[in-house]
Amino acid sequence: MKKKMISLLLCLTLVTTAFAACGKKKGASDEVVYRKLYAGEVTTMNYLVTVSENEFDVGANVIDTLVEYDNLGQIKPSLAESWDMSPDGLTYTFKIREGQKWYDYEGKEVADVTAEDFVSAMKFVLTPEYESGTAQLLFGVIKNAEEYFNSQVEDNPQTEEVEGNGLDIDFSEVGVKALDKYTLEYTLAQPVPYFLSSLTYVCFMPAYGPLLEELGAEFGSDNTKMYYNGAYILSEFAPQETKIYVKNQNNWDAEHVYIDKIVERYNAEANTLAPQMVQTGEIDYATIESNIVDDWLADPERSKLISKSRVEVDYSYFYSFNFNPQFDKAYEPDNWRIAVNNENFRQSLKAGLDRVRALSVTEPETPEVLLNNTITPETFVTNEGKDYTSYGNLEAINNGNSFDETAALSYKEAAISELTAAGATFPVKILMPYNPGTSGDTDWGSECVVIEQQLENLLGKDYIDIIVEAGPSTNFLSEIRRSGKYAFMKTNWGADYADPQTFTEPFTADNSYNFMDKAMAAGEGVADTVAEYYALVDAAKAITIDLEARYDGFAKAEAYLIEHALVVPYALSGSYYQVTKKDIYEGQYAPFGVSVLRHKGQHLLDKPVTMEEFQASQDQWNKDREALAK
Amino acid sequence: MAKFGSSRIRLEESVSEVLRAKNDLQDGSKGNGSPERNGSHSRNGSHSRNGSQGGNGSRGGNSSQDGNSFQNDNISEKELFEFAGYDEASGEKIGYSNYSYWGSTLRAFLKNKMAVTLMVVIFSILLFTIIQPYLPGQFDPNQINNDVKGNLLRNVKPNREHLFGTNSIGQDLWSRVWSGTRTSLLIGVCVAAIEAVVGIIVGVLWGYVRKLDFFFTELYNVLDNIPSTLVLVLFSYIMRPSIASLVIGMSLTRWIGMSRFIRNQIIIIRDRDYNLASRCLGSPTTRIIFKNLLPYLVSVIMLRMAMAIPEAIGSEVFVTYIGLGLPIEIPSLGNLITTGRDLLMNPGLRYQLIFPTIVVSVVTISFYIIGNAFADAADPKNHV
Amino acid sequence: MIKYLIKRFARSILTLIIIISVVFILLRMMPIEGYFQNFEKLTNEQIQAGIHNMGLDKPVLIQLKDFFIQLLHGNLGTSRIYRANVPISKILAGKIPISLKLGGIALALSLTLGLPLGSLMARSKGKFWDKFGTAFIVFVQAVPAAVYFLFIQIFGNEWFGFSMLFSKDDYSTWIMPIISMAIGNTAYYAMWLRRYMVDESNKDYVKLAKAKGVPEKKIMMKHVFRNAFVPMIQYLPTSFLNSIVGSIYVESLYSIPGMGGLLVDVVKRQDNTMVQAIVIVFACVGILGLMLGDLLMTLIDPRISLNKKGGAR
Repeated sequence: MKKKMISLLLCLTLVTTAFAACGKKKGASDEVVYRKLYAGEVTTMNYLVTVSENEFDVGANVIDTLVEYDNLGQIKPSLAESWDMSPDGLTYTFKIREGQKWYDYEGKEVADVTAEDFVSAMKFVLTPEYESGTAQLLFGVIKNAEEYFNSQVEDNPQTEEVEGNGLDIDFSEVGVKALDKYTLEYTLAQPVPYFLSSLTYVCFMPAYGPLLEELGAEFGSDNTKMYYNGAYILSEFAPQETKIYVKNQNNWDAEHVYIDKIVERYNAEANTLAPQMVQTGEIDYATIESNIVDDWLADPERSKLISKSRVEVDYSYFYSFNFNPQFDKAYEPDNWRIAVNNENFRQSLKAGLDRVRALSVTEPETPEVLLNNTITPETFVTNEGKDYTSYGNLEAINNGNSFDETAALSYKEAAISELTAAGATFPVKILMPYNPGTSGDTDWGSECVVIEQQLENLLGKDYIDIIVEAGPSTNFLSEIRRSGKYAFMKTNWGADYADPQTFTEPFTADNSYNFMDKAMAAGEGVADTVAEYYALVDAAKAITIDLEARYDGFAKAEAYLIEHALVVPYALSGSYYQVTKKDIYEGQYAPFGVSVLRHKGQHLLDKPVTMEEFQASQDQWNKDREALAK
Repeated sequence: MAKFGSSRIRLEESVSEVLRAKNDLQDGSKGNGSPERNGSHSRNGSHSRNGSQGGNGSRGGNSSQDGNSFQNDNISEKELFEFAGYDEASGEKIGYSNYSYWGSTLRAFLKNKMAVTLMVVIFSILLFTIIQPYLPGQFDPNQINNDVKGNLLRNVKPNREHLFGTNSIGQDLWSRVWSGTRTSLLIGVCVAAIEAVVGIIVGVLWGYVRKLDFFFTELYNVLDNIPSTLVLVLFSYIMRPSIASLVIGMSLTRWIGMSRFIRNQIIIIRDRDYNLASRCLGSPTTRIIFKNLLPYLVSVIMLRMAMAIPEAIGSEVFVTYIGLGLPIEIPSLGNLITTGRDLLMNPGLRYQLIFPTIVVSVVTISFYIIGNAFADAADPKNHV
Repeated sequence: MIKYLIKRFARSILTLIIIISVVFILLRMMPIEGYFQNFEKLTNEQIQAGIHNMGLDKPVLIQLKDFFIQLLHGNLGTSRIYRANVPISKILAGKIPISLKLGGIALALSLTLGLPLGSLMARSKGKFWDKFGTAFIVFVQAVPAAVYFLFIQIFGNEWFGFSMLFSKDDYSTWIMPIISMAIGNTAYYAMWLRRYMVDESNKDYVKLAKAKGVPEKKIMMKHVFRNAFVPMIQYLPTSFLNSIVGSIYVESLYSIPGMGGLLVDVVKRQDNTMVQAIVIVFACVGILGLMLGDLLMTLIDPRISLNKKGGAR
């Protein structure tokens, strides 16, 4: 009978717990609350060290920077009321807005925001033991940043390498100073035409100095371990559970913050659940992945809920040829080395790649909008109304399309005879890895399969043999791209600041993308072409004041890079389907940095944006941008 | 004392459920903890239980606590008894006249109509996965199909040309499901085979070679405490996803339970009265192993192997779910189900989940029931 | 008894030390990425400084010694990637109770459902309830959990209006996760109870009882059920402790901030210190569960004695 008793007891406990608290609480009714799911939890909220986008999200919304962007991408004052640049372009002086405060997570006032906070934050970034991922962005920009950083590193007696520089530099020699409580001065290592645009990036964000001192590496490990001066305060943070931002009523720009509260719930399967929950109104945002979008579009009710996201020009995707193959013998790296040094071979792949078809995997309806014909995307930067991609030869490339079946076949003929002479064997094996585990990019594998079949059918299986292979889902980049274990693979680069120079970085010497510098050093077939490209880039970099000439120089280099098929420009990201109650064209916009992550300036609508509304505001936005350019 | 089941960490619900169930199955029948249960080789399932005459009688309570206690008994036998010469002819005289182990097993098995039907189903599935690529009008599972305009044939509902429809990039699901079944069954069979080979070898060494007993017992104590999920996750993480790495990852821990079972059985059975008698009569060791021990073990070995296949499929689904599974160009039931899961909420696309799920269910149920039926049939106690 | 316990305990500790050492040494052989949050973006200088600060440049055995000393102080280390610079014990302290609570309730539910079902099946062997139960068990085993959990969640939401997400304070959101977790175990307990009871009812003492004219129901409840339940008792501690480990499927579907999937997560993110700590927790749980299980058995079944010569364990 004992068992009966036990089971009865168990039953009772269960029932009581189930009914103990069934009453649901409801928040205040007139509050504007924006609710969403997220699948990737932050590992830290320390905006001074992180490099991951979902962690930028926190910093972007809770910290104000010196300047910010409006919804059309124009720089405007934020924490800095005004600024000056010295005539030589080496010194910037900022007047900080007075009366701004730091608040803790409960909204209690802690201290004033002063110029000193920018200095302390930079000191934190430049301290090697805090392992900031963005420290390198300051090198070569802020005077003595790199020197100061390296001077703190002690040489490890066990290794031959010299880690530190043996210098004795004090932080006061670094080019950042608080002239008085509200005046901040940056001194640059060289004139940097894009300096203002980089100020919205995380490594230039301020932080309250005494708190940094107190917490050290623990700064930002929790919402209670940081202070806030931005549009929102992260009032609640339960890892893998929820993040609640409340509006900072005392922010200088609080009148332009229209959403009072942001409730983010964690869910590991957000991609699967969010589309369901957004229909029942439990949340206000969901991305509709390409695998289910057909079903949504076919449904008369649900198709009214979805709209698109804007095409993002901060990341550029391109297919890289690996000039220093390190992959397994089974994939014939030596044969690939011969082939890739042959320009006609590269041209045949470039002309043969049907990018629109490959892109229809991720964007089935209008894949063309994602096409990117250059490395630096169109609309990324303009100089006096002229878009960078319309400079010099780049204009023709940008308006054309590299896909050309007949050209591809004639390149193939040429390549076959030249390669046969060079001792290559056919078919050339082309190792094309993809990352099976990238979140939000689950279509990569499918895309590779599409490309494999399209290229092999066009160019012939006796000419090329594309081998699609899944790489490891963690450390994909270091295992595959950085270690050169690919032949021809989709790679990407994200802009750090508003200048075409940012998109030359993946190809420079010591790059971990296509290793063409190594081929140049080894004097292989492609060496002269690479040397010429480097010369063009260096020439452009040297021009720092005359933007017209600078852009022209970079355009020349980029056109050369593409014309000689050292790389195949591929696509942009974005333009995915989503259910959203925010008009995305209302928010802050800049094709780099963290501006687009800010909720400030956006209204929460009553119902999801429809495709027509999206189209209308997109057109309006484009019109406004054009008007500005004139 | 010996425990009844191993403490698999429950990260993978269904998988470990079956796993624990199965461990229990064997351990239960050996019943170290409760002496009364020792003899009855009962299996789960819906069959009559007429056996257990032989078992119960022969097992005295004193001898059953654990195999180790037998060690001391053996020395005295040699002193007490004198070996008689072995005469094969007289040995046969008292044996069963027309008893054939495998014949009886087969007869007992055929009595279970359900199991026989499912056996036919499984063999048809097996056969079909093998011949399917050679049938006319089949698509390559990785080929992307286009419509007349050259666009991808995305998400086409099942029709005459694509019997199971197509997926989101226009691949034929019919051929993907069969190709996936082939992959998953291959993984299952390999895992089962490795488990059997390694498990039996280690188990026999452990049970027979007494010097090794201490070593293996200690090794077992350590290994058994390491959650198999942990090993599987770590291993599939370190290795590049491939069929081989999955098979090895799943096999790394599975043999432990098998060898422990074999060891315990050997220790228990080898000193049973009839084996003692057999040895007294001078039967050679090989004869004892093949005629007296093996029939006892075959049933459980077969059961474990039959269960290993659906379990391996379950593990594969799990590994794919956590993002460490096979790449998409190797279709498997795991990645078909994982991709299909995302579509459950979209009625128009649900077919992409249903077909692979049905195949998994049919395969699992079949192996489960066949395994149990066969284990019963193979149990000599059920032959009389 | 006491002697046995001490021996048993000492052996468990030894096993634990071996497991920890092996895992520790294996993890030291993994790439050092696992100790840095933004490894890809760090300069060589930062990495060298970090390695020195964490003492990773010392010989492995010395590191192991340091680690054990820390462990004795209850310090599991600091997470490096999963949640940068947060003490691991703090992370686990937030997660374990939730998994334990949910798992405990689910276990209770599966016992309250599974045991009656199992004994019902055993009593009506071959009849309707037996077949119904068997069908249920077979279904639960056959359909992948990844699929039917999602099904329960979505249709629980569509048909009964349960929230799709878990919330600590709103107990109505606990119902679906608990049901999902309990289904597998219900089938499991029903299956084994039925089997043990069927086995048990063929025993001589049952035949004797029948011959004596004891009512069928009384035999079943008083004798058969009791004896059949004994071997299952042994699992209860393990099952309960295992709920610490959580259920990866259920927890990720309902956003339950518990332990489920934590291991997979940290393994995938290569947070070496976390992997180490979780393996220790899992190993402790496994060993403790077995010990308690054996203990419980002896307490409940007087026929079993632990003082006799120990076996494989």
